[in-house]
Amino acid sequence: MSTDLPAQVTRTREGRPATVLEAIAEALWEEMERDERVFLLGEDIGAYGGAFKVTRGFIDRFGPARVIDTPISEGGFTGAAAGAAHMGLRPVVEMQFMDFISPAYDVLTNYIATSLYRGAGPLPLVVRGPVGGGNRGGPFHSQNVEMAFFHTPGLKIVYPSTPRDAKGLLKSAIRDDNPVIFEEHKGLYRAPYCRELLPRDDYAIPLGKARTALEGEDLTIVTYGLMVHRSLEAAAELAKDRIRAEVIDLRTLLPLDEDAIVASLQKTGKLLVVHEDTRTGGIAGEIAMRVNERAFEWLDGPILRVTAIDAPVPFSGELEDYFLPSVADVVTAGRYLFRY
Amino acid sequence: MSGDAVEDLLYQGFQGRLLEESLRRMPPSRRPRAATSIDVRAIVIARAMRQTVDGRGDLCCPGPMSPGPALAFGATPLEFLRHVTRKGTSPASARAGGTSWTDLRRGLIGWDGARGTMTQVLAGAALAFAQRGQDRAALVFERRSAIETGAWHEGMNFAAAQRAPVIVVLAPPPRRGRRDRAEIEGVARGYGVGLLWFGGEPLIDVFESVAGARRRAVAGEGPSLIALAPRTDVDLQASLDAFTEWALAEGDRTGGDLESIERAAAAGVDHALGRIGKEPDPDPEEALAAVRTDTPSIRPWTRMKSPRPDGLAGTAPSGASGVH
Repeated sequence: MSTDLPAQVTRTREGRPATVLEAIAEALWEEMERDERVFLLGEDIGAYGGAFKVTRGFIDRFGPARVIDTPISEGGFTGAAAGAAHMGLRPVVEMQFMDFISPAYDVLTNYIATSLYRGAGPLPLVVRGPVGGGNRGGPFHSQNVEMAFFHTPGLKIVYPSTPRDAKGLLKSAIRDDNPVIFEEHKGLYRAPYCRELLPRDDYAIPLGKARTALEGEDLTIVTYGLMVHRSLEAAAELAKDRIRAEVIDLRTLLPLDEDAIVASLQKTGKLLVVHEDTRTGGIAGEIAMRVNERAFEWLDGPILRVTAIDAPVPFSGELEDYFLPSVADVVTAGRYLFRY
Repeated sequence: MSGDAVEDLLYQGFQGRLLEESLRRMPPSRRPRAATSIDVRAIVIARAMRQTVDGRGDLCCPGPMSPGPALAFGATPLEFLRHVTRKGTSPASARAGGTSWTDLRRGLIGWDGARGTMTQVLAGAALAFAQRGQDRAALVFERRSAIETGAWHEGMNFAAAQRAPVIVVLAPPPRRGRRDRAEIEGVARGYGVGLLWFGGEPLIDVFESVAGARRRAVAGEGPSLIALAPRTDVDLQASLDAFTEWALAEGDRTGGDLESIERAAAAGVDHALGRIGKEPDPDPEEALAAVRTDTPSIRPWTRMKSPRPDGLAGTAPSGASGVH
């Protein structure tokens, strides 16, 4: 086996800032070195290193028994991951694009998510992969999949926005005893504005805890993933109008950190939810309902949302730009809410 | 076949037959909805695997052939009845249905969902055995119609590609013709896996064939497929009788020994039938059992004690995260 480290897992060791992709690769590598029960399954993740090269070189270090190139059968290898998890292993399944998770929907929602409740024991496994638009991938390589699983009791859903969070949350997900869907926005994978110097020490970020990405007092923007960065840009625009927006990065969608949302709302009295996923049945609806239940008296205006429009992700660049929520959309909604 | 295995098979064969008869006699309101056909060949196939009670033996999904294979893996008639009649004492606390449940310590893994899923899951479990170099294999009983599903083919393809030590049994439909056999042979050829076809062969031959398939699987030679001829084509009672005669002729046993085994089997089933009516129904709190290891489920707020002086139902929803 090779002793040379793949470049994408050496940034932190070399004291250099890492991208989101490199942070994810580092998390996987370190968890595989830490715990021999951790292994990877997915299409082309071995010899080819994965469609986005997250696992390039892994097979040389860990061998084909722990970096398994699977047939193109998402249901089959996700089901197999469940069996391995039953037997005490900690599988990490890569979906080449998260759009392809739909063939595994049956086994994920019917078998894996129900396992503990059915008395079949916990199933510690992670299903991770790239999501999100903006890359001209069209309808089958650009979707956000969180709400397809949000309604399923038994799962956890994680969606990081920074390299630090991506690494720390993925480590927590791998160590968690529950099945975790881990979404990685491909627009953040190599984004130049999204590089960070990561802690050299082993660290994990607990699941289910949001973070305050920006403090403010006039309105709360609750968001996650790539939209954290769009919202921060919008907050900078709003600040020019002396509107101080607070940006809450959910980090984990399931379980949802209700306390963080309510605490921020109690400070600002205004709530805007921003997500890249489409509008109907998006997480904004659930957040609005929970705020209605817990903090109705604190609201000084309607709960608003900025989302993608209800359509498949378009292939044309012009159409996709129109389809996706923009910084301008967030600024418009923020101004409206502030003045309400 | 060891003497213990012979006696186990006789005991479980008698018990399976009696349990099946008892289930047929149950009033429809109490009878399990799922199939409860107990095929002695399934018991023999399961008994040819390696059973332990420490979670280190083989793994078996009894599937539609339950409880036969479950009996071979140590389940009792009372446990089975508790489960299928949804008693609070059932192994899954009445939160899951079907005819089999999970007890990984004994090597039992249950499922009553889509066909083919358990071939995927058992292939993955078998892969874990192979990765660790363990003397363990997985056995999964699927309905014959599973091979019409994409899920089954994905699981079988994965198992074959990884040479996972898994044995897949196709439980027979009530009646199929010769064409069915040709189709299954074609599937086995397609995946490059061995096929065992069991009609009314002597049970000792069934046992030895499966034990051989298991040895080959653990040695890294890959999965095997087993197909059972429909029960209507086979006289299972005659098979059990022949096995009993064989056990008498080959072993150091008397007719009295066999009667004693049959009486013990009947006593176990009688006890289970007499006992099941006294078993408690599940506590509704079971519905709140956690669906994740670390997040409690919360009751609907309308079913909480009201703290409000005006007596309005419930209390303000708590901030605790519930199922979601």
